[in-house]
Amino acid sequence: MKLLIVEDNFQLADDLSRFLIEQGFIVEISATLESARGKVELYDYELIILDIGLPDGSGLDIIKLLKKRKSDTGILIVTAKNAIEDKVKGLELGADDYITKPFHKAELNARIRSIIRRKKFNGSNTILVNKIEIDLNSMAVKVDNKELDLTRKEYDLLLYFIYNKNRVLTKESIAEHLWGDHIDQADNFDFIYNHIKNLRRKLQQAGADNHIRSVYGMGYKFYEL
Amino acid sequence: MFKFRSFRLLTKTSFFYLLFILVTFFISGRYLINKADEYINEETERFFRFREQHIIRFLEKEKDPSRLKYIDIALLDSTGIYPNYPRYTDTLIYIEELDEQQIHRKKSVIIEANEKAYLIQLLININDFTKLKSDVAGRIVPAFIILALVIVLFTTFLSGFLFQPFYRILSHINRYKVGKRMNIPKVKTSSKEFQKLQFLFRNMVNRIEDDYRNLKEYTENMAHEIQTPLTIIRNKTERLIADEELMKKNVDTVKIIYEETNHLSKLGNALNLLTKIENGEYNNTEVINTKDLILKHVDAIDELLQLKLMTIETDLTDDHQIILDPFLFDILLKNLIRNAIRYGSNHGPIKITTNQNQLIVSNYGDTLSVSPEKIFERFYSSNSTKQSLGLGLSLAKRICDLNQLNIDYDYKDGQHLFFISDKK
Repeated sequence: MKLLIVEDNFQLADDLSRFLIEQGFIVEISATLESARGKVELYDYELIILDIGLPDGSGLDIIKLLKKRKSDTGILIVTAKNAIEDKVKGLELGADDYITKPFHKAELNARIRSIIRRKKFNGSNTILVNKIEIDLNSMAVKVDNKELDLTRKEYDLLLYFIYNKNRVLTKESIAEHLWGDHIDQADNFDFIYNHIKNLRRKLQQAGADNHIRSVYGMGYKFYEL
Repeated sequence: MFKFRSFRLLTKTSFFYLLFILVTFFISGRYLINKADEYINEETERFFRFREQHIIRFLEKEKDPSRLKYIDIALLDSTGIYPNYPRYTDTLIYIEELDEQQIHRKKSVIIEANEKAYLIQLLININDFTKLKSDVAGRIVPAFIILALVIVLFTTFLSGFLFQPFYRILSHINRYKVGKRMNIPKVKTSSKEFQKLQFLFRNMVNRIEDDYRNLKEYTENMAHEIQTPLTIIRNKTERLIADEELMKKNVDTVKIIYEETNHLSKLGNALNLLTKIENGEYNNTEVINTKDLILKHVDAIDELLQLKLMTIETDLTDDHQIILDPFLFDILLKNLIRNAIRYGSNHGPIKITTNQNQLIVSNYGDTLSVSPEKIFERFYSSNSTKQSLGLGLSLAKRICDLNQLNIDYDYKDGQHLFFISDKK
């Protein structure tokens, strides 16, 4: 699957591309609006990660271009926080989702995967990790064909872990993923532990292994066995 | 503190003008009356002298005063100096033919003829003269009243006509909002002062707009540009966290770098938001029915509170409305609730109450260790938890200040209360 990162900061683009290559994507980078336009005209991408603020113009132009060509490329826009106008305009023009800087890579990964899944309606939409099977359409989780009774938050948490399996997810990143903007209301993220504990218990009761482990008190990791 | 009532400039000038005229009228009235007195005195004196001369001449010729008819004359014992004479008195004498009392002036004077001294008393009717005098005095008051009326009318006319451009310029100044790039219509006027006022105002607006744009660009760039390096630092730190060997030795260092980066990033966002609020960028003001929004918000954080062993209660009326940009209302509510969560204890629930005029957010907790006025200041935080930005309440206050809302704090029965109400 081929992705295009449109980002003028070299460090960030490099960091993201390495991360996404590790995740198994083929990644290209454009640092300017001009080069991005050229690339979009020539190649088809599964998804574009698009920074709105570019040195030679607004990334919104790329969305217009793609929509004019009726491309089904997924578009994930990256905006500075509080830049609601960019966000709103981007989504109006037809972007699939947005993420605000600074973001967690795990969050970006989850958003990318979710957009790509949404674009592919045909075929099975299930993820299988060891004994755990997730049906994304019906949001059902099964272990050994036994359906688990998960809350919405626990389901989101499990999916976030699985999208980012074998990586450390910091408490901040998990909290932000689950609570979005409301996470501002919490002054520490230790309460995440309760969610993890419940999820772990439900998975193990259904017969799954213990996949989720704490890492140095900073976060958690989902191990694929 | 003295409080002065304020008046229109034109009202003031006409008031002083009237005062000036009153003084002028008074002085000139006095002057006229004095002049009239002088005239009367001179005229009567001339007349008396004439009569005296006449009598002296008559006495020198005839020697017999009894032949002087109609004149009150008496022979005195000796000649010499009579210091009490001449003496003047004004008396009312009844005139039979006219059937009225008329003022007469009586002069008692010593004359000498043929080496004899006589006391004579002369009378002159000065009724017409005094009538003239009282006429002068009587005209001044109505003249003043008429003039005052004319001035008041003229002032009204002037303020309508002459000052109209001034008031129109004022209303443009009043309507001007920074950063709106408003097209300010030019007011036509031929008054030099107003032209200058308008010129200065337009120049000032242009300068403000330029400065504002620069400042805005600066803060926007700053806020945007700082987030990219922060994202990079955070990503790199996450990479370190994934390195188990390194983490074994450096977990504390990495943890602090990670936390501080997050803190810095949040701080940048909050300050940026504060700047945008102060610039009045969120001004899609509308009348908001608060009930549903509050309930939605409470719903979203309910689970979060349960995890912290806290509870939240609401007592909301359908009627409570607030005039605010919905985005700002969201921020306001969020910051008040966050404050309640952060400083609340689990002695009792956090409460959100609305009535017709007020929105009250309260939480149980110990008394403040500092003066209540300080809690709305920036970077002020009574317990120095690292996660607290110290911007929440000052953000709430700015939102209220800029939108004609009051925010008040009170501590009662072990509860911290924040009230939001309309400025009346």
